[in-house]
Amino acid sequence: MKTKVKISGMFAIVLMMAFAPADAQMTGQQIMEKVYNNPSGDDMQGELVMTLVNSRGEQRVRNLKQFMKNDGKSEKKIMFFMAPADVRNTSFMNWSYADGRDDDQWIYLPALKRTKRISSDGKSDYFMGSDFTYDDLGDRHPDEDNHKLLREETIGGEACYVVESTPKSGGYMYSKTITWVMKESYLGLKREFYDQKGNLLKTLSIKKFEKISGIWTILETEMHNVQKSHKTLMNFSDVRYNKGIPDSQFTERSMTLGI
Amino acid sequence: MKLIEKHLKGLSWLSLVLILAVTALLLIQIRQNTRMETNLDEYMPKTHPAFVYSDQAEEWFNIKDGILIAIENPQGIYNQQTLLKIREISEGLMQMDEFEEIDIQSLYTADNITGSDDGLEVEAFYGAVPGHPDEIEALRHKVRENDMIAGRLVSADETVALVVAGMNSSHFTEDLYHDLLEFAHSFASETENIYVAGRPIVEGTMGHLGPADMKRMVPIVLAVIALVLYLLLRSVRAAASVMLTVFVSTVWAFGLMAIIDVPVYAVSTMIPVMLIAIGVAYGIYFFQYLSNFNHDTPEVKLIDALKKVTIKLSKPLFMAAFTTIIGFISLLTSQVLPIKYFGLFTAFGIFVTFVLALWLLPAMVIIWGCRVRSTKTERRSAPFWNASKITHRLLNYKKSIYITVAIIAIFSVLGLTQVWINSSFLANFENESDIVLTDRFVNSKFGGTSTLNVILESGESDMFKNPAALRLMDEMQLAAEELPVVGNSFSLSDYLKRMNKVMNADKNEFYTIPETSDMVAQYLLLYEMSGDPENLLKVINYDYNRTNITFQLKGDDSKTINQALSVIRQFEEPFRDMGVSVNYAGSGYKALVFTDLILDGQVRSILMSLLLVLVLLTIMFRSLRAGLIGSVPILLTALISFGVMGLFDIPLSTTTALLSSIAIGIGIDYAIHFLQHYRMNLSTEVSRLEAVKKTMAQTGKAISFNAIVVIAGFLVLLFSVFPPNRTLGALVSMNMFTSFAGTLTLMMVLVYRFRVFAGKQGSPEIQENK
Repeated sequence: MKTKVKISGMFAIVLMMAFAPADAQMTGQQIMEKVYNNPSGDDMQGELVMTLVNSRGEQRVRNLKQFMKNDGKSEKKIMFFMAPADVRNTSFMNWSYADGRDDDQWIYLPALKRTKRISSDGKSDYFMGSDFTYDDLGDRHPDEDNHKLLREETIGGEACYVVESTPKSGGYMYSKTITWVMKESYLGLKREFYDQKGNLLKTLSIKKFEKISGIWTILETEMHNVQKSHKTLMNFSDVRYNKGIPDSQFTERSMTLGI
Repeated sequence: MKLIEKHLKGLSWLSLVLILAVTALLLIQIRQNTRMETNLDEYMPKTHPAFVYSDQAEEWFNIKDGILIAIENPQGIYNQQTLLKIREISEGLMQMDEFEEIDIQSLYTADNITGSDDGLEVEAFYGAVPGHPDEIEALRHKVRENDMIAGRLVSADETVALVVAGMNSSHFTEDLYHDLLEFAHSFASETENIYVAGRPIVEGTMGHLGPADMKRMVPIVLAVIALVLYLLLRSVRAAASVMLTVFVSTVWAFGLMAIIDVPVYAVSTMIPVMLIAIGVAYGIYFFQYLSNFNHDTPEVKLIDALKKVTIKLSKPLFMAAFTTIIGFISLLTSQVLPIKYFGLFTAFGIFVTFVLALWLLPAMVIIWGCRVRSTKTERRSAPFWNASKITHRLLNYKKSIYITVAIIAIFSVLGLTQVWINSSFLANFENESDIVLTDRFVNSKFGGTSTLNVILESGESDMFKNPAALRLMDEMQLAAEELPVVGNSFSLSDYLKRMNKVMNADKNEFYTIPETSDMVAQYLLLYEMSGDPENLLKVINYDYNRTNITFQLKGDDSKTINQALSVIRQFEEPFRDMGVSVNYAGSGYKALVFTDLILDGQVRSILMSLLLVLVLLTIMFRSLRAGLIGSVPILLTALISFGVMGLFDIPLSTTTALLSSIAIGIGIDYAIHFLQHYRMNLSTEVSRLEAVKKTMAQTGKAISFNAIVVIAGFLVLLFSVFPPNRTLGALVSMNMFTSFAGTLTLMMVLVYRFRVFAGKQGSPEIQENK
């Protein structure tokens, strides 16, 4: 079975915290573990503008408001569409489980006035027509790959480790990824994804990041599929952590209430 | 004098060496630089609005031609082995560099949208191949329930499954063609048959079958022409010299093409056809003139005879070459690039032929000597050609000639109205050939091997979230599907109907367009979140104001496409009322527009050529009457050529359309030689009758020799295995015959009857009963 939908994973990239000072002797494995272990808060809420740009420069823009909570055993997330108008108050909820069970997903369509469970089999795994697959958004465990520190390099004024990660077993859609990890924050600044034929498929770059409530938070990111000349921009705003969002926020009933 | 003679011999050798050297250099150029252009997209005018639009639409919606691999298991496809093969074929194609994953459609790659009381699922029909009979039965059930798959990727009788690999025909290469066939057929077994069909395959097969066949046939054609030439001229040297000019002019034409980096198109194969016909004609005139000159004045030395003959021949030859060249240059007005080039390089080749006839042929005679001198030999060589008797007969039966020509002309005009252009590639193959049988098989089991894309556009964004527009779209699809030639269709409405049904407990009454635009928007969002959003981009754009409907057709011919179009066009008006424009795209549609352009261009160019010929003949002979009568054989040849095509249901294509140019080229030639001789003979002979008899004896013989040689050569093509080449052979032969017969019967009679060049001098009339 493929890695299931992990909307929560979006925040694995988004929320990563500075951890330790640079250590020249670190291995690729250690670097990636530090990246993985960046804490992300107990709960989080914020707004997201997702813009898809195709090769002709046409755009599809969606505004969402999202809430997320992680209690260690499961990660619950709910998103409400705010725009465009014809999908306003459509909501999407995802529960993913630490024990490896398949995620549960629901969608509420206001025009139908009904909540539906949905499932996707992971084969068709692009998130909402974006260039992010659910895999990209997920927090892939460092033990699933072999990591190799290729070199150290400064890009955009940031000193980075350049780590190549190759999957240990088949079933991953990329043949390898190369990540530029900032020495200061252990935040990935850039990542290249290579397809099964070994060609560069996509480049993820972080355009803007900030420390919010002590947590390194990515605010603007761009995924560029170089083979299709398609881009997805995600802009986060109004990000708040640890506001004590109640469990009742993540129910089928609250999905129907809208924003 | 002797000195010049000595020099002449040297000069002749020098000429020969020079010409051969240039030819050799050009041959090297041809070897190195010649490239075949098999990509049909390159044939079409890039700036024509229909092509610009279609190319744009293909890019918008990732519209591609499909290579169809069908796997048939007469016992049914629902068994482990066949299902595994469907998966292996799909995955194998994905691995190829030429295909992208999104372009491969099969039962294995398809999304199954299903619903239940509380959920919606978009998932693969199968990943791991099901082994248990219950699982296989469940799979069969899932397919039967899904209209988006049943009948499209699995045949209704469940014995055939289809794997469709979308690709641009422009990326199709011969290597890929062979690789694909080998790959596909490696899955055949005792229980499973494999069929490979689709437009790229048809184009690919045609691209290599046609030239391969030509390569086989051309040497035989040339051999037959050389042999007949020898039999008529009774001289190996003369025949060889003529063949040399044909060879040299062809090499020069193609050499020039290689130097200026113009690729060889399919229609370029017509260039040698033209150059053979013209080269043989010029060569025969030369040797006929020489032999006649020797016959009349046997005492004159060879060198002097050559000088006289060359000078005498230069005028009619120049006139003939000039008019023919002008005729071919007129093809530059065509919108179709390969036809422009055909005109240009044929014109150049004819110019070379003309120069060689007056330069290389005399030089060859000087070097090699000449045997066609003896009048006795000459008489024996053509016992059938008793010019005097024939002329009398023809003049006596002129009424019969008029009536016969009138009847033929009436039939031709009738045929002319039947002429149709076929954009079909499949029509180029034998009815029982593999490719036709495969196509027929796949068509019988599925929607169709050919596609037509209809693109709807509106200035207003979100237009295609509007249920009214979607319903009209659905109506259009259903109306077109009523036609037997339309197998099925696919659009945004199919997704929405399916979603609406599964979101409403799979109830059939919900297999309709959703009620509100919000509902449409939310379904689409739902699909994007749970399915493969890239699939949606094949039917709808980001702003929801441009959508693509694909119709699957049972044939790629113009009649089928036009039939579908006639139904679809009825919806143009209601759509226009909504502010939606309807346009068409796809390779089948482009081929249709392209053939229209060819016909249009061809008709225009023929009319222009006829007018040009009339004007040129009138100017050259300073007589409108000569111009009018001289145009008769050409008109007749073109008319009969098209008439026969209509009557025998031979559709116009790029190559057959160009045949009319050849008819004109040859026709002018015959007419000019005849008129030129007749005018000269009028001044030397005592009467118009004697003049016409003499002309028939000289020119008539040359013309008939020319016709016999070329007809004999091209009849060889009737044994070709490639149907278009057979048609070519038959039509070239027929055109040569009509030009020949038209000139020597009708035109001769008209020239005599209407006293061309004779004015009112009142030469003695022929006595009808003589």
